[in-house]
Amino acid sequence: MGTELLSVGLDVGTTTTQLIFSSLTVANQASRFSAPIFAITDRTVLYRSPVYFTPLKGFDLVDGDALRCLVEAEYKKAGIAKEDVDTGAIIITGETSRKENAREVLQALSGFAGDFVAATAGPDLESVLAAKGAGAVEFSKSQNQPILHMDIGGGTTNLTLIRDGKILRTGCFNVGGRLLRHENGRITYVSPVLQAVTALSVGDTVSQSQLKELGVLLSSVLEMAAGLTPSTALTHAFLTQEASSPWVAPEEKVILSFSGGVAACIREETDLFAFGDIGPVLGQAIKKSLLCKGTYLLGEDAIRATVIGAGSHSAQLSGSTVFAEGVSLPLKNMPAIMADGASAALDGEEGILVLPELPHPDYAALCALAESLAALELPRYLICTGQDIAKALGQKLRLLMPHTPCLCIDGIYLTENSYLDIGAPVGTAFPVVIKTLVFGS
Amino acid sequence: MNKEELSALVAEILKDITPEPAVKGSDYKATQPQPQQQARNFSDGDFVPDVSALDLRKLYMVESAAEPQAYKKLKEKTPARLGMGRCGPRYKTVSLLRFRADHAAAQDAVFTEVPEDYAQKHGLLPLQTRCHDKDEYLTRPDLGRCFDEENAAKLRSSAKSAPRVQLVVGDGLSSAAILANAADCMAAIKDGLKLRGIETGTDIFVRYCRVGAGDAVGDITGCELVCVLVGERPGLVTDKSMSAYITYKPHTGISESARTVVSNIHAQGTPAMEAGAFVAELIDTILEKKVSGVGLHLEAAT
Repeated sequence: MGTELLSVGLDVGTTTTQLIFSSLTVANQASRFSAPIFAITDRTVLYRSPVYFTPLKGFDLVDGDALRCLVEAEYKKAGIAKEDVDTGAIIITGETSRKENAREVLQALSGFAGDFVAATAGPDLESVLAAKGAGAVEFSKSQNQPILHMDIGGGTTNLTLIRDGKILRTGCFNVGGRLLRHENGRITYVSPVLQAVTALSVGDTVSQSQLKELGVLLSSVLEMAAGLTPSTALTHAFLTQEASSPWVAPEEKVILSFSGGVAACIREETDLFAFGDIGPVLGQAIKKSLLCKGTYLLGEDAIRATVIGAGSHSAQLSGSTVFAEGVSLPLKNMPAIMADGASAALDGEEGILVLPELPHPDYAALCALAESLAALELPRYLICTGQDIAKALGQKLRLLMPHTPCLCIDGIYLTENSYLDIGAPVGTAFPVVIKTLVFGS
Repeated sequence: MNKEELSALVAEILKDITPEPAVKGSDYKATQPQPQQQARNFSDGDFVPDVSALDLRKLYMVESAAEPQAYKKLKEKTPARLGMGRCGPRYKTVSLLRFRADHAAAQDAVFTEVPEDYAQKHGLLPLQTRCHDKDEYLTRPDLGRCFDEENAAKLRSSAKSAPRVQLVVGDGLSSAAILANAADCMAAIKDGLKLRGIETGTDIFVRYCRVGAGDAVGDITGCELVCVLVGERPGLVTDKSMSAYITYKPHTGISESARTVVSNIHAQGTPAMEAGAFVAELIDTILEKKVSGVGLHLEAAT
């Protein structure tokens, strides 16, 4: 028994673009004799697109029109109308042109991917979704050791450190299989991030041993990131600038887990010139490195980890006793406003007010809080409470401000750089996608 | 007003209404108790450590365990007394003391009376069922569901007649549950009903109250719906669990299946005021559908 949500995941990466549709089952987990607790109880992938090369204009700018055609064709093939999609996420990843690409993709797909689909870009969220999509987060629940998941794509490697199903931290390095491309033994592209570490440039002929050398160099960056070797200036040089904080290597022994296109090249030895890039050499270098010394995990559908994460794991549910009156949904791109004076949000724009946990949440304290909030006379109230009091607070606030729209939710953990999309309720809970946006700031 | 100003303003508000946090048991360390540490010298007037303050979900006392971390992870999911270790064939002292302390708390919750002035302090009309004391209450459930002529007359003369919603607080099997939750829950229910324009009658407190006492209140006041907040039979996990029983068109002899219940109202379950807001919404639905209990679920399923 339960309600089904149709979720779409679209991953527009440096190299590949993929799309999946998943069905999320939402059911009440509580008995009939207590207040409801809705949760996502099942996730099934309904449709997987082929792995496409990302349509590009030039070397790293996404061709929005071509992308739109591709997505339209996939919706048709899957037999899904865009109005049927309830939730999901579009993930835009990229090596150097993340911001420009995010704008282009959002413009090309705006209004297309359903009413409530979060368009997101940013390495932190990407890391989390890849780790979830690869199954590393679920796996960590059965382990007594932390898991370090690496999603190694074309332009970047997303790192996620996980313990007992909880994300401890995320990071991102500019290590990927498409940083250098070649055709018939000649180099056609060298990423700017490689220029400091290699003399190779476009037009040069390249030998097997030169490629292998580069693979070993890049895998040594990942060894340092995993804390297997002491870190040098190299780790700093390859750190992705948009990550919210610098990466700190795990302090203890971890189990490594891999996904992404390069992970497929760890599994089996491919012809070094097969894809015209350094994916195969990087995969083989990783296999021979300290990273694969102990037990490590390689997902079955490694190249699809991020898109499965975007489709099946981006949506979460708010608490089930919440309040909404007069607020039309969905709400999109609501920045979190932390109630501590710190807020990354832009001026003059509305946001969702994030309250901390109250130490003595009795009704008198709640009424005092509601009265003070009402005195601010905001045009509408969007609030996320720090504990299970959202319905009581929302109700009190609405009683004080009967004509002011009010939405009050709980059960969601927001930090100062979060943006929030809130959809129409499922059962008594709201589907929510928490995201980070790199552009606009 | 821009975001930074709003954020700062709300921070200011929170500072005013939240006193310094006093986290219960914050000084408790979830480690394996060391016998040496327990053999402290106590002098007259000292208090022994409070065994009931220990967080059982974090207390793992098996010695030389192969996978203590894995066991602790399992323990977080259940209040059951697992991994308590042993001393020969017996419980450890801490386990035994804690078990007896929890059992005593449960018994106290049943046998302690809700204070004499509780009803007056919270603006409730005080009534008593036909039971004369706790012993009679426990042995004669039938007497806990009805009133003598004196109490019936008091209800008839003092309470508003035929309200849409009649709210009742009853001690039931846990006075501790009522003291901890009833006032906040009641206040939230009343605000929720006010928001929806639903009128309530004279709020009542019933001593020695079974859920069925609400049916007798229905007979007398002629209310359309009764909501009884009652202390639940305490267990070894919590002695403060309260339930809200909601009955549409209550009358003596109504079937138990006609009741809608929201149980597990306590700090670790559904918090009292959040439960109150939920109950208010539920009452609204029941009044609209004109049915409670199993009938309401059938209605929702069709």
